[in-house]
Amino acid sequence: MTILGDLDALSFVPWIRRHAAKLGLSQAISHTSSQRIELEVAGPVDLIDMMELGCSLGPFDVWVETIHRTPVDGGGDQVRDRPS
Amino acid sequence: MTHDAMIDEWYPVGLFSQLDTNARKTALMGRPIEVAVEAEGHARVTSGDGRSLPVCVRYGHVWSSLGKPQKDLFAIPEADQPGRTLVDVGVIRVRCSPLRAVENFLDIAHFPFVHTDILGAEPHTEVQDYKVEVRQDADEVWATQVKFYQPQAAKSASGGITTEYMYRVPAPTCCVLYKTCPPRPGEWDVITLFVQPLAEDLCDVWPWMALFDDATPMTDLIHFQQTIFLQDRSILENQIPRLLPLDPGMEIPTRADLTSVAYRRWLKRHNYTYGAQLVAQ
Repeated sequence: MTILGDLDALSFVPWIRRHAAKLGLSQAISHTSSQRIELEVAGPVDLIDMMELGCSLGPFDVWVETIHRTPVDGGGDQVRDRPS
Repeated sequence: MTHDAMIDEWYPVGLFSQLDTNARKTALMGRPIEVAVEAEGHARVTSGDGRSLPVCVRYGHVWSSLGKPQKDLFAIPEADQPGRTLVDVGVIRVRCSPLRAVENFLDIAHFPFVHTDILGAEPHTEVQDYKVEVRQDADEVWATQVKFYQPQAAKSASGGITTEYMYRVPAPTCCVLYKTCPPRPGEWDVITLFVQPLAEDLCDVWPWMALFDDATPMTDLIHFQQTIFLQDRSILENQIPRLLPLDPGMEIPTRADLTSVAYRRWLKRHNYTYGAQLVAQ
């Protein structure tokens, strides 16, 4: 999952970890910057959908422009792009 | 808390047909205001400190603003379409955030559980995929291709039908619903929710409709819509937190909530935060 926007990574990264934990998803964040965060998320597709939806709103001091999703090995066959 | 972009928006403050020269005392975003229709027929809105506020009359209601609206009130072209019955439903006071009232109106998934055997019924509880977008030209949130089975979609419906909906949010506390019109295929019934923010956690809701229905008595049309909204009120007044969270940390949205998420993103983008909770608690 690649999250693009005006991202205050300091607040957003812990928020992402908390949100994934609430949904029971495992996650590994591989890149963070003020414009882009990349992470791998593993779990049921419906819950990953919920993760994406939650991240599209995010904490108040963050603006998520777009989220790109790409399946990895064993991660299903769907690719979803959410325009702003 | 009124120093956000919402102060420059238009809000409904009364039904034009029910006003006269005796001022109606009400409130807008925590400030007292008075609404009256002068002898020559012009609506007048005055703030508590005697200041004349912007005013317009449209869709059966008087609209005003504490600030300086940058654009005209949004258009509803169907309001001027010949053959429609225009219904002033009246007012319902709800102890909830004005944004919560709009968000509830956008939510389809609650129909079978709150409006049982009218707008929904078990086992028809699934919300099929639909489209949500922010239309950049008009700067409005739209949800389209929303389909849902309804036992009695409208007063004029004689049995269960799959109803198609479009939702439109043209202003932070207003929502326009376009809905399959049982007696007039190809046209949409228009049902609106105009919300007057009295305070961050208190609002007057003014539903208004433009329908193709010349068979149902006006009192029955009003009663039908009031029945629906009174069912919503008991839910709205018990939601926690009372303000609408813009951080989804507490209320985790699902795919059925796409419209709600688009609405919250749009509020956040515009700094429309009167009645919103900014940080998850």
